[in-house]
Amino acid sequence: MNAIADLYAGFTGWLFEHALQPWLYAAGLMDWAEDIYEWLDFALFGLIGIAVVWLVCRPLEAWRPVEPVADRRAIRTDILYTALTRLGLLPLIAFVFLATMQSAWEGWLTENGLLPPTLEELVPALRDHPVLAFTCYVVILDFGEYWRHRAQHRFRWWWALHEIHHAQRQMTFWTDDRNHLLDDVIAALWFGGIALLIGVPPGQFPLVVLLLRLAESLSHANVRLDYGWLGERLLVSPRFHRLHHGVLSAGASGKNYAVLLPVWDWVFGTADFQRKTYLPTGVPEGPEALATGGWLRQQVVGLRRMVAAIRGR
Amino acid sequence: MRRACLALSLGLLGLAPAAVRADLVYVLNSGDASISVIESSTREEVRRIPVLREVHHLIPTLDGRELIVGDSVANELIFIDPATAEVTRREKLSNPYHLEHSPDGKHLVITSLRRDQVDIYDAPTRTLLARLKVPDKPSHLAYTPDSRVVFVTLQGARGLMAIDLQDRKPLWTAQVGSQPAGVIWHRGRLLVGIMGADHVAVVNPADGRLERTIPVGRGAHTIFPSPDGKTLYATSRVDSRVTALDAETLEPRDRWDIPGGPDCMSFDPQGRIWMTLRWIARIAVLDPATGAVETIPVGRSPHGIYVHPRREPLPAAGTEPFVATAEPALAPAKAGQDAPTPQPAVWQRDPVR
Repeated sequence: MNAIADLYAGFTGWLFEHALQPWLYAAGLMDWAEDIYEWLDFALFGLIGIAVVWLVCRPLEAWRPVEPVADRRAIRTDILYTALTRLGLLPLIAFVFLATMQSAWEGWLTENGLLPPTLEELVPALRDHPVLAFTCYVVILDFGEYWRHRAQHRFRWWWALHEIHHAQRQMTFWTDDRNHLLDDVIAALWFGGIALLIGVPPGQFPLVVLLLRLAESLSHANVRLDYGWLGERLLVSPRFHRLHHGVLSAGASGKNYAVLLPVWDWVFGTADFQRKTYLPTGVPEGPEALATGGWLRQQVVGLRRMVAAIRGR
Repeated sequence: MRRACLALSLGLLGLAPAAVRADLVYVLNSGDASISVIESSTREEVRRIPVLREVHHLIPTLDGRELIVGDSVANELIFIDPATAEVTRREKLSNPYHLEHSPDGKHLVITSLRRDQVDIYDAPTRTLLARLKVPDKPSHLAYTPDSRVVFVTLQGARGLMAIDLQDRKPLWTAQVGSQPAGVIWHRGRLLVGIMGADHVAVVNPADGRLERTIPVGRGAHTIFPSPDGKTLYATSRVDSRVTALDAETLEPRDRWDIPGGPDCMSFDPQGRIWMTLRWIARIAVLDPATGAVETIPVGRSPHGIYVHPRREPLPAAGTEPFVATAEPALAPAKAGQDAPTPQPAVWQRDPVR
């Protein structure tokens, strides 16, 4: 494991020193060197994430597909979404932007004699157990994702954006990143905000993102796969999440909102553990452009629908 | 344990080889919230101390018995016994990035890079005396030998600020170059690493006037005086280089290309330079006498570094009672041979007045 970490550090260091730092120096931006170095992790973790997901999901989809691939163009659009999202630009922007805001906020607090506590101060046992602390970060962030997802279905204006994600009738592991840009920005601010609130160390943030993204991609895969009675209650499976994308689950009547841990659906009464059900996906009453339009078309239509929803039309 | 038993057996038999130093080297891994403790004789990491968020710089306490590590994002100071690598206590404190005691031991000045503030504390009690809001990114600091003035680089504002420690107000702010980082007091002048350029700036401390520049390589970052005061070592991040400057003339005397972005330094009693390599999760050990360089893996983005002299290896954590082997227990060393050196945490205050 250490050898892999060392190899990775050597590679990122070489990349930074030879490709990024000279450019930063020439542009007079050495002040941002450390931030860009952190961004490199996001970008590389994004690429590694795509590679790992492809290696895991592609054989699974070939092995036991839920449905045959009838629309390759729709999948290509999802691949474009993935490429745009997974370079980590949005989470990074949110994290850097929020870190600046947090700095100002904490500065104001300290001016007034207060120092905000960290998660480890509230739960001292976490201080000496970084792996346990990391697990806590993941669980809390996953809980946050559950409620964001609930809100995406609950509010009409937000559903207008999120509908793009649900409109896909040819769902594969690429579908995970099929989101409206504005929806992505809100998600990044939400996720980054919670991460800063509980104090996820900046170095661990890309790892948390990578872990959740891997789970999400697998859950969208076109594979007839469940984890058994107990497993279905511990981890979100492709079966569990496909039910969420089923035609009966669109809008506010959804089930199975969890991203990583189904326990949230269990606790809040939104779980559906009917293991053998693999419904067709998509939003039957939605506009065709959201299902089969290109990336730009989907973005424009999604935005228009959001504005219409806000205006009450 | 096995190692300790072997050493004890060999010692009893009178077979112990000539003492091989086992200094402890503390490395602050700013990118993965931890402190690596390296044993100098084996080059192995013997402890990994978890911290909360982002550790950047460290200094010894005024009595030299503890290390103070600043965890900036966690708003915390961590105190460590350097002989045993045990965390002894923690203190809440606002965003400690770079920190340094004044030469007279009265003040502790702490810069807060992300919050654009410079805090002046009463050193023994760490009571906040004044908080100055300053321009973008106050980074590193240095004092006048009489402790009356502290100088702070303003990384995002091309500036250097002088602050009077008696009335705790800025005296002057001067433009010294693009992204100034490290600063030291050196023989009546200030030396500033200009990260956005390829040189060290020589600045008049009276008014901030730039007097000359010393080329050291692109991304000039920090400057460290050798323990004997005869040489200054400057790091350059972009050219990944260490340049030796003659302390008297400031002329470059030697240079070593060390890939990985050399940053902070500390000297061991043998005169070797231990330095963090910011971009490759390693530290380097440079022997300036021979030019030999070796590297050791540590955590992500290592920044501050400190060498604590010891004779013997550190026992494994929690295995046996610790036998004090810290420097005070050492046999007196012959002058100039193996004498324990007061170690700069980030850099040393210039002993030459």
